[in-house]
Amino acid sequence: MSEEPPLLELDSVTVAFENRPGLFEFGDESEQVRAVDDVSLTIETNDVVSLVGESGCGKTTLGKTAIGLQRPTSGTVRYRGEDIWAIRDGSAETTQSWEDVRSSLQIIHQDPGSSLNPNRRLLSILSEPLRQVRPALGASERRERIYSLLERVGMNPAPDFADRYPHQLSGGEQQRVALARALLMNPDVILADEAISALDVSLRVEMMDLMLELQAVFDTSFIFISHDLSNARYFTQHASGKIAVMYLGRIAEISSAEQLIHNPQHPYTSVLRWATPDLGGDVSTPEEIPMRTIDVPDPVDPPSGCRFHTRCPEAREHCTAVEPDPLPAGGADVRCFRVRDGSPYWNSPRLEEEESSSS
Amino acid sequence: MAQTHQPDDPIATLEDVSVTYDDGTSFVLDNVSLHVERGEILGIVGESGSGKSMLASSLLDAIPDPGYLSGSITYQAEEKTIDVLELGQSELRSLRWEEISMVFQGAMSSFNPTMQIRDHFIETIEAHNGGVQAGMDRARQLLSDLYLDPDRVLESYPHELSGGMQQRALIALSLVLDPELLVMDEPTAALDLLMQQSILLLLRELQEKYQLTMIFITHDLALVGALADRLAVMYAFDIVELAPKQQLLSNPSHPYTRALLNSTPNLQAPLAEMRPIEGQSPAPINVPSGCSYNPRCPLATEECRTTDPAMDSPAPEHSVACFYWEKAQWEIELNYATDQPGGDHS
Ligand SMILES: Nc1ncnc2c1ncn2[C@@H]1O[C@H](COP(=O)(O)OP(=O)(O)OP(=O)(O)O)[C@@H](O)[C@H]1O
Ligand SMILES: Nc1ncnc2c1ncn2[C@@H]1O[C@H](COP(=O)(O)OP(=O)(O)OP(=O)(O)O)[C@@H](O)[C@H]1O
Ligand code: SF4
Ligand code: SF4
Ligand SMILES: [Mg+2]
Ligand SMILES: [Mg+2]
Repeated sequence: MSEEPPLLELDSVTVAFENRPGLFEFGDESEQVRAVDDVSLTIETNDVVSLVGESGCGKTTLGKTAIGLQRPTSGTVRYRGEDIWAIRDGSAETTQSWEDVRSSLQIIHQDPGSSLNPNRRLLSILSEPLRQVRPALGASERRERIYSLLERVGMNPAPDFADRYPHQLSGGEQQRVALARALLMNPDVILADEAISALDVSLRVEMMDLMLELQAVFDTSFIFISHDLSNARYFTQHASGKIAVMYLGRIAEISSAEQLIHNPQHPYTSVLRWATPDLGGDVSTPEEIPMRTIDVPDPVDPPSGCRFHTRCPEAREHCTAVEPDPLPAGGADVRCFRVRDGSPYWNSPRLEEEESSSS
Repeated sequence: MAQTHQPDDPIATLEDVSVTYDDGTSFVLDNVSLHVERGEILGIVGESGSGKSMLASSLLDAIPDPGYLSGSITYQAEEKTIDVLELGQSELRSLRWEEISMVFQGAMSSFNPTMQIRDHFIETIEAHNGGVQAGMDRARQLLSDLYLDPDRVLESYPHELSGGMQQRALIALSLVLDPELLVMDEPTAALDLLMQQSILLLLRELQEKYQLTMIFITHDLALVGALADRLAVMYAFDIVELAPKQQLLSNPSHPYTRALLNSTPNLQAPLAEMRPIEGQSPAPINVPSGCSYNPRCPLATEECRTTDPAMDSPAPEHSVACFYWEKAQWEIELNYATDQPGGDHS
């Protein structure tokens, strides 16, 4: 073994959920949602990978799979070179235990309210990770640490907040406690699933700065899920990480924050970029949205060829038949024919405009 | 704080509404007065912990225990005026959903995890003696308006839906009984921006189609700026500025509002310009005396530290709680162009 294996490595990972057949559907063929479909991704030490994309495209599922909270249907997830499900099942010789894996890979849930124990005060909720990570710490030292972290996340006076139950907090305060708890674990990787979405801009920037600061000190890596491209950009760019744009279970484009914002390669990335509002804008009419239709295809039955072809403003016949593989293009990996000059795409006729399908 | 102008046709009116905890020592809503105009979309913005959800819960007398709610809240139904704080449990229940419907913050904890989405709809419809058939037809229509597949969503348990799907299902549920006033607390926090845009469009349509009145609470100024007719800015448990949207965005007059607008991110802006507002907002038990914003305000004077500013009116329908709003307009520069809102500025 000459080289260190990457911290986390996802290799052709697929996660499929079976849907119960509906009341009105007969026959026993059950439907499948491939929430994550053949995704490969590497996360290094002290790295940031942001996941952006529309609701339901598979961000949470991919994130949970990466940190071992969701078992993939196929493909492997490796932590420091070892298959984490083999570690879990004890099915291979491994040097690490499942407990190591679990405490090294932490999550900040998308819905903080339901992830905090409602029957315990914040002091006790936050003491638990400290007791695990720093068992030598005395009670008063623990308390001091918790107070100072609460202050860092803007919850002053800390003793007053530490004494409260989760339901006695505002939505954004709950989110900050969930963040504080994950940071106290001092893990290798934190999956931050919309961890700042309930916060106002000012606090968002502060919380991102706090995460970045901890990253600099402890080499923590982040999988950062955000529906907001400006936040993903802020966090990723400061950490020199990557942004992955997901579409229907696949990564459409992955590249540095700088390049993704200023030189998007995939037509879908351009659409997301377009959707990020500037102040004072008005509600757009559907006609203005630079896509052929706003409707997201049914993930149970994704489109043939390129999955984006039903909406892509650049789609051509070729896109309906063949699916593009991820292609390297100036530092990015892009699933679109347009990044290749010689692609048959260019000689194929444009798709007819679809009837506007707003209901 | 006194309202500075008379409404035409208010659907809901709050007067001197306060919410206290800890035997009156901590104010989480501090003497708020506000009217909601019938048919308008009112946006409420403010920092985390500033009291937005408390304000929303007050409207339905639904403050979490053991909070104490005082002041007066009236709801103007078609034929009669309802004093919300005088209602009994069953009257409150029918006011809720049928007249005022509420989308609470945190969609994922609003659903019962052991019940399919379908049963949530049926339960709500039946609890209010609605026809299940007609109600479910409406539910399906609403779900598909929200870009969800009704068959799949109705069959699902909450955990089988993504965060954004749950949030949309909750919006559909809140509309199923055709309420007059819809209060939404961070209804799009978990949604991507494309979906947010589509939902804003839909809400606008619904509002026009059913003459809905809407209160839209969010920490996201850019989002509500696109939808609202009027905007209210909350700071430290009170409303500090209120104006028609265009007026507020082009002539923000409270130093806090101006700082808030300046901190709103923008893809065009260079990274270094995304800056938090200096200082921290006060906690309910130690709100500074005088103007609550004075410790963070660049214009604060001795007067601000001792006296709480009353509402002043820089323009018709525009009210602001600041002694020096004129100076604020001059001295606190905005980092965006106000002459052509919506235009591309670099
Ligand atoms: N436990 C489950 N059972 C069945 N389907 C599921 C389950 N979890 C997720 N799904 C489906 O997988 C798809 C992807 O869901 P996921 O939660 O990963 O989306 P997301 O990108 O995080 O969306 P959002 O931004 O709305 O949170 C959705 O269609 C969802 O309904
Ligand atoms: N049950 C409670 N007991 C005591 N204080 C509470 C309780 N619930 C909320 N608070 C406090 O009331 C204040 C206002 O809370 P509210 O939920 O209205 O904030 P918010 O503006 O909605 O914030 P966010 O954007 O974070 O949701 C906060 O300081 C919060 O800590
Ligand atoms: S491959 Fe074709 S349909 Fe897919 S993104 Fe590129 S141009 Fe659009
Ligand atoms: S009243 Fe004084 S402290 Fe308050 S916002 Fe105005 S200038 Fe600032
Ligand atoms: Mg999610
Ligand atoms: Mg709230």
